[in-house]
Amino acid sequence: MAESSEPPQQEVSSSLKSDRVSGLVLLVLAGWIVWLNSEFPLGTLADPGPGYVPLLLALGLGVIGLLVAFFGGDSEPLRAIRWTEARRAVVILIACAVLTFALERIGYRLSVFAFLVFFLGVVERKKPVPMLLVSAGFSIVSFHVVAVMLGVPLPRGPWGF
Amino acid sequence: MVETFNSLMMGFAVAFEPRVFMYAVAGCVIGTLVGMLPGLGPLAGISLLLPATFGLDPIIAIVLLAGVYYGAMYGGSTTSILMRIPGEAASVMTCVDGYAMTQNGRAGPALAIAAIGSFFAGTVGVIGLMLMAPTLASFALRFGPPEYTALLLMGLFVLAYMSGGSMLKTLAMAIFGLLLGMIGIDVMTGYTRFSFGLVELGDGVGIVPVAVGLFGISEILIAAGQAEPPKVQRPKLRELIPSREEFRLSVGPIIRGSLLGFAIGIIPGSAHVISSFVSYGVERRLSKHPERFGKGAIEGVAGPESANNSAATGAFVPMLALGIPTGPVTAVMIAAIMVHGILPGPMLIEQQPELFWGFVASMYVGNLVLLILNLPMVGLFVNLLRIPYAYLYPCILAFCILGGYSVSNSVTDVWIMLGMGAIGYLLRKFSFDLAPVALGLVLGPMLELSLRQSLALSGGTYAIFLQRPIALTMFVLALLLLALALKPVMFKSKDWRSNVGLEDPPGS
Repeated sequence: MAESSEPPQQEVSSSLKSDRVSGLVLLVLAGWIVWLNSEFPLGTLADPGPGYVPLLLALGLGVIGLLVAFFGGDSEPLRAIRWTEARRAVVILIACAVLTFALERIGYRLSVFAFLVFFLGVVERKKPVPMLLVSAGFSIVSFHVVAVMLGVPLPRGPWGF
Repeated sequence: MVETFNSLMMGFAVAFEPRVFMYAVAGCVIGTLVGMLPGLGPLAGISLLLPATFGLDPIIAIVLLAGVYYGAMYGGSTTSILMRIPGEAASVMTCVDGYAMTQNGRAGPALAIAAIGSFFAGTVGVIGLMLMAPTLASFALRFGPPEYTALLLMGLFVLAYMSGGSMLKTLAMAIFGLLLGMIGIDVMTGYTRFSFGLVELGDGVGIVPVAVGLFGISEILIAAGQAEPPKVQRPKLRELIPSREEFRLSVGPIIRGSLLGFAIGIIPGSAHVISSFVSYGVERRLSKHPERFGKGAIEGVAGPESANNSAATGAFVPMLALGIPTGPVTAVMIAAIMVHGILPGPMLIEQQPELFWGFVASMYVGNLVLLILNLPMVGLFVNLLRIPYAYLYPCILAFCILGGYSVSNSVTDVWIMLGMGAIGYLLRKFSFDLAPVALGLVLGPMLELSLRQSLALSGGTYAIFLQRPIALTMFVLALLLLALALKPVMFKSKDWRSNVGLEDPPGS
């Protein structure tokens, strides 16, 4: 996907512009917030309710979204935005999500050790010895510094580890 | 003046207490390392250290975090000059001529001038902070809810006008941040808003998960799959001394950058980033040989480096005097002080003189420590850059998750951080500036409270903002800025950004 050739100039100039898309997304977001906000009372001007300021802000976001879309004709074409790193970014986010899920279940040291083994061994294909040394070293030392020396509580998991 | 001097002496007594001094040095060293690491800017560094400060004395906490902040400013310049990698966004301009000087075999003088300029600028900034903050604080005692509403709104418009990217997109991001600030229990009525049934969101969204997600995680996502950085050079100590001509050429840019940086630093926005861009543009414009810029002009290092350090200090003026953050870094630092039950604002200097003057004095000390530490130890520090990025980024990610979790021992914060990381990644792909989101998040509850109090005070009329002279002045200024900012959008004309060569948003 990333290495695909540049689209022809004419095609690019007539394609969807990035700011047009951004503006429309902002507009949709504003609409969604207005809808969510409808359950809170707006109050009166003399006594504004909890829904008053969020409504003002959502309306402001909608107006700016429209303006971004309206003036976005000269912005970069959507197809010109390169996503070369997107696949790896998704892998990173999924790995972080798994670590977050595991953190309180199996404890900080084990989950961070597994997380680093995955990145260094599977994603970066580093040699086993440095990979294991870095993974074990980082998880143990960072736990010691943060939890023991600085006194910030970190999850230990069912095995107290 | 005598009173200021006496207060400063009291501050030095605090700053030279062994524990405070030790933490100031530790902050400077950590900051230098953080500034050098790609993916860990000052904001992410401060956010990650924040939980560790909860158990510390408030003075030590703020001294440590401030040390990290200006240490990161110093550190960022090292990677920019030696490797053309800005450790943090404010060092982008230093890359241009700093790296060109490295290629010309003048890395040492570039590093030395950057350090000397940063020291001078830091000192100018601290003097400015010392003189301005108490005056501003006593003026701000006259502020009521309408003045605060006007001030916060004006700040957002200044932020939009001064931002590196599109004004409309910056305003959109500021509103997005303000809306994030609406999440949680409404303090005036007790309603829980936009929490989606999650009890953890009752207290709102924290600045740390948002800041680390937007600036730390998204940076790593953007950098994923990039080529390995170039090999690093290690200049020797004797190679650091600039020539007489290089000194002569640097004096003007250092002075101008320091003054310009401080003035821009007080204004909301990515001040330290903007100041370095503006300073570079000014120096190029003032130079008799602008063609040298981009090919190793030392003025292109001296000006921006001085400006970003001075701006970093200037940002503390509204933070300490008004209790209003001008950027995400000061927002996190306000959170750090508030954890200890101290409210930054006009009363801070009166009620907590040891904290304010101790902080000011420790900044003098910190600047000196950085100058003494960084130049001789630059060879040692750059060893860090030899760690392959493949080993570095998984550890930074683990640190981010650790930092996100440890603020309130909540996995929900880590999920928010990852979500903000993904959102930040997409926003950067679409050229949105991220700083206004973090700033809006902190300003949101303040703005809402002051607006609703103003309306209640006035019996429900917006005319209250026109009847109060200070509020009216601020609104007029805000409208003026809005008009100035909209002019280039409506008429497709050039604005100040194109004059200083600032075309892309500074990211973070």
